[in-house]
Amino acid sequence: MGSTLRRLTAPVTYRRLGFVLSAFVLGHVWFVVLVVGWSVCASVLVTPLVIPALLGLGAVVRWCGRIEAALARGLLEVRVEGPSFPRWGRGFWRYMGAMLSGPFWRTQAYLLVRSFVGVPVATAVLALLAGSVGLIAAPAWALTSSGADVLGWHVHTLAQSLVFIPVGLLLLPASILLGALLARPFAALAPSLLAAGTPEDTATTGAVSGEGAPMSPSERRQRRRNALLTHGVASSFVLAFLIAVWALTSAGYFWPVWVLLPLALAVAIHGWFVLLGEHPAWVRRVFRSRGLAGYTGVAVAVELYLIGIWGAAGGGYFWPVWPLLLMAAAGGVWAAAMWLSRGEGELTARIDTLETTRAGAIDEQESELRRIERDLHDGAQARLVALGMSLGMAEHTLAEDPQRAGELLAEARVGAEQALKELRDLARGIHPPVLSDRGLEAAIAALVSSTPMPVTVSVSLPGRLPPVVESAAYFVVAESLANAGKYAHATRVRIHVRQSGELLELDVRDDGRGGADPEGGGLTGLRRRVEALDGRLAVSSPPGGPTTIHAELPCG
Amino acid sequence: MRVVIAEDLALLRDGLTRLLRDNGIEVIAAVRDGDSLIREVVEHEPDLAVVDIRLPPEFRDEGLRAALEVRKRVPGTAILVVSQYVEETYAGELLAGGAEGVGYLLKDRIMHVADFLEAVHRVADGGTALDPDVVAQLFRARREDAPLARLTPREREVLALMAEGRSNAGIAEQLVLTVGAVEKHVQSIMSKLELPPATNDHRRVLAVLAYLRQDV
Repeated sequence: MGSTLRRLTAPVTYRRLGFVLSAFVLGHVWFVVLVVGWSVCASVLVTPLVIPALLGLGAVVRWCGRIEAALARGLLEVRVEGPSFPRWGRGFWRYMGAMLSGPFWRTQAYLLVRSFVGVPVATAVLALLAGSVGLIAAPAWALTSSGADVLGWHVHTLAQSLVFIPVGLLLLPASILLGALLARPFAALAPSLLAAGTPEDTATTGAVSGEGAPMSPSERRQRRRNALLTHGVASSFVLAFLIAVWALTSAGYFWPVWVLLPLALAVAIHGWFVLLGEHPAWVRRVFRSRGLAGYTGVAVAVELYLIGIWGAAGGGYFWPVWPLLLMAAAGGVWAAAMWLSRGEGELTARIDTLETTRAGAIDEQESELRRIERDLHDGAQARLVALGMSLGMAEHTLAEDPQRAGELLAEARVGAEQALKELRDLARGIHPPVLSDRGLEAAIAALVSSTPMPVTVSVSLPGRLPPVVESAAYFVVAESLANAGKYAHATRVRIHVRQSGELLELDVRDDGRGGADPEGGGLTGLRRRVEALDGRLAVSSPPGGPTTIHAELPCG
Repeated sequence: MRVVIAEDLALLRDGLTRLLRDNGIEVIAAVRDGDSLIREVVEHEPDLAVVDIRLPPEFRDEGLRAALEVRKRVPGTAILVVSQYVEETYAGELLAGGAEGVGYLLKDRIMHVADFLEAVHRVADGGTALDPDVVAQLFRARREDAPLARLTPREREVLALMAEGRSNAGIAEQLVLTVGAVEKHVQSIMSKLELPPATNDHRRVLAVLAYLRQDV
């Protein structure tokens, strides 16, 4: 209750509400600007005038984006610069290209969201606000007029109208808070869609438009999912509200369908792109390129949207067939072009693989750093604090009780030894010194000598390997040995390491009870480590055993 | 006793120097890399060189290599290698030229000052000081060894201390036994492992380490 009151009195709530309501006007303006702008461009499409028209549209879109960015900065406290204008002086066509590059499209996407989502949301919030004010003012209109119909109930006396005041008093703050809450998805969208982002400063946009520290890939994925969820929930909310209004009023012609269609279109397209981002490998297999995948999803969604409009408008001549043919033809041409440039497709595939494995490696590195930080914090650091305390107490009691001081000093020494041991184990877990000094074979031997179960090792290597390969191979063996002892309760392990040509092959086989989860934390970490080096990790661990871990690492 | 120290970290170099000097050991030089160590040893011919494994410029095993070089150039110089970590591989490399006057200890052991000084003197006198961690690694590598499995827990303790390079008196002190009891355990161990009865401590260490380090 206290926090609700605090939120109701906080200026930020009203700034957010103002932002949401601003779409009521701006959303219409943006829609008109874009429709007029593109109509002008389309009407001069076959004349040279299309160039100035497009440049003009680029500038107008940027100005609109800057107004929106200023609004987001001022009202939502989001750090966003707004789309920047490209620089002159590197040739006209480059300028033109830059003018029509990423920021141009992203800004339009934002403007469209503001009109297609923003307007219905603003309308709904406005209706709620007006409705609650109306309810509070119920006695006024009960007195001045001869009564009114409210939700099917004929109100004509002052006493009856008084009933509505508490309802209005509850509804008003609820509408204010709801309105402010609906600003969230926009606050999430603005930094990415309204980022500056010309080629010269793309490197800095992440830091400028984000929230300080760069995000890890997993965080980014999580954020994208959250944004989609917020989008979906907000849309359903708006729709539910409109349907409720429709049901409570005449319940005649189902007009909310006209809001449902654009909202569903926006969510579908958003969802499609989130899906594409999560499964790059699938996109590559099915569509060969992200562009085509995006286009296909958008085309299908738009066609369904048009069919929906056709149905809502009462059927008749099935005109959506024409855009369907057009979009299918464009998609066909695109796919054919892709097929003709298959070499590039392979390149794209390679890039996709690199993207995925790099993201995995970064994730892995980050969780590793967190683990190290935790170990340091809970282990050696804590021990050193305790040691310092023992020393301090020894110093304090030295004069009056030398025997006690001696005990404390001995305690401090034991603490120092334990801290050293923990640090040594930690350092070995990060990178065992013997690995860089003596190579893989010696490091595996050292690992085996500290393993409680018997291990047979056969290593055949012509010489030293690249350090990253040695390190990945070492951790495959270390993790497999640890798993064999800890989970599989193996009594025997065999390790084979051999280099054949430019490939290092590793096999770790145990006679344990199997059932290792290839998606478990340790094995996933290993896989990411191996894949980051273009290697392969295969785990076979049927219930009942045995477990075999096979890794291949290119080492040319 | 005259000692040269090679340790790159000033904090530890000064600490070690002070610890040895406070206990009546003469520190002739304290240097920070392997080349300086070799130079100082060649010039002063000390009784003992205390060397850190990780030294500049590469911070890998320069200290170990310098120690081996020292033994080649000035035979008879005792070597005590200290490190933040111990590996059986390095112990093997150090012992390859004989176990006389060789020590290999974790830096942690310096904190047990009396024990550490005893090891310093033992190595300088031509004895051996092998870190308990190295010995434990050797034992683990031979866990399927049948003769070793026949030893009683007490005998295994005595064997470990023998492998560290301690004398019967040292073992007796460590395990709170009489020297006579230790001698009996030693005899039993030697016969169970079928090792020849050793005439002195040096030979005994060599025999024990040879046994523990033979190929499985």
